[in-house]
Amino acid sequence: MAAQPFIVDSDIHNVVAGKSIQHRLAEPHRSRFASGNRGPGHLGYWNPNGVMRADTKLPDGRKIENQPETLVEHVLEPYGISYGILNPGGMGLGLCPDADYANALLAAENAAIAEEWLTVDRRLKGSILVNPNDPEAAAAEIHRWGDHPDFVQVLLPSGARMGYGQRYFNPIYAAACDHGLPVAIHPGTEGVGLSGAPTAAGYPSTYFEWHTDLAGSYLAHLVSLVAEGTFQRFPALRFILVEGGVSWLPPILWRLDKNWKALRLSTPWLERPPSETVCEHVFLTTQPIEEPPRREQLHQLLAMFPAERMLLFSSDFPHWDGDTPDFAARQLPEALRARVLGQSAAELYGLPGVVHA
Amino acid sequence: MPEPQWHTVATTAELPAGGRKLVSIEGKSIGLFNVHGEIVAVLDVCPHELAPVCRGRVSGTTLPSAPGEYCWGREGEILACPWHGWEFDLTTGRCLVDEKLRLRRYPVEVVGDEVRVAL
Ligand code: FES
Repeated sequence: MAAQPFIVDSDIHNVVAGKSIQHRLAEPHRSRFASGNRGPGHLGYWNPNGVMRADTKLPDGRKIENQPETLVEHVLEPYGISYGILNPGGMGLGLCPDADYANALLAAENAAIAEEWLTVDRRLKGSILVNPNDPEAAAAEIHRWGDHPDFVQVLLPSGARMGYGQRYFNPIYAAACDHGLPVAIHPGTEGVGLSGAPTAAGYPSTYFEWHTDLAGSYLAHLVSLVAEGTFQRFPALRFILVEGGVSWLPPILWRLDKNWKALRLSTPWLERPPSETVCEHVFLTTQPIEEPPRREQLHQLLAMFPAERMLLFSSDFPHWDGDTPDFAARQLPEALRARVLGQSAAELYGLPGVVHA
Repeated sequence: MPEPQWHTVATTAELPAGGRKLVSIEGKSIGLFNVHGEIVAVLDVCPHELAPVCRGRVSGTTLPSAPGEYCWGREGEILACPWHGWEFDLTTGRCLVDEKLRLRRYPVEVVGDEVRVAL
């Protein structure tokens, strides 16, 4: 029998109970939250299957994603996942126009994660949720948790007012680098609250169209980070594109390099072909992995960039478009499996190879 | 090939019109559905990523139509996988989005008030 692969799941969505947030809020935020006002809202796009998988309710009525114990027992253990990175739903709260309320909710959710989740099982690792629209407050929140051994990244929503390469965000990157933490972005808030329209062509009509277009948001952020020189300003910065798709990356790297040859004069801080910088600083998660008609087409695509370094397995549990580790492993060429399933993530997040719960 | 074995796994009272029951036969999880009076049995494994497909929603679906029009039909005949939402026609097992895929179906017979499945 083949040895169990070492697996790190870089995108699990736990749900933090409202009551865990509420009692950590000071007034007037507590009353506001208790009234049901929870932040930036959403555009109301409709997924007919629900965004959450329909089968996570246990016989006792609890949902797997709502408690750390059930997440470990029903997701990590059955699939042999050594570590799961928690990316809770509150990640987009910074798109609430009221920054003070957003900051209070984010701080409360981080505290709830630290005290109610990360203490339960060392296999669960946290993301520091911060407000991109208040970079100084975001930096303070990063400093608050940055040396906690079980927070392993900073998480931002990919729905944004502007490209994440803009210097406005520098305090966030400086703080993350101070603690050696990578910064991740996650989709789902495109078009919500303070963010711009969800696509360059405005507002699509359906969830199907909105969701398919999410790659556009990732493309814009990646090119922004490159062109603005973010990785020259912050040479230690590592940036993770979570759930933004994979297949669009090689052509945009080629286009970046081609345009750089002609237009380098306008961005003189880019001293090398930009694709080289991307391949050193940027990571992508697998899910929802593209499923082309023939698997070798995916393999060809994965040979067009250093996937063995950049690509990290993610399940997206319990969302409707998740991938299980065994399914993802079957899509990958043999030579990439160990790196993608766990080794690259362990290096990136600084996780030891063997874990004792 | 050994002869299929008939297993009595439910009573007709447990499967009223539109009803569903999950049973285990020889270690396999199988979903029984009463689709307009006919009982169908399908393996509880989705051909996509192997999800427990029989826990999904049973409903109708939108039939082919012109842009901007919606035509609802086939109520009670469509099973949607609880993971990625792929739809399956319970009356044939066919996947609506990929004609190469289908649910594994088993013969069913009703004898008196007993529902039997052949495996
Ligand atoms: S596992 Fe059923 S649709 Fe993907």
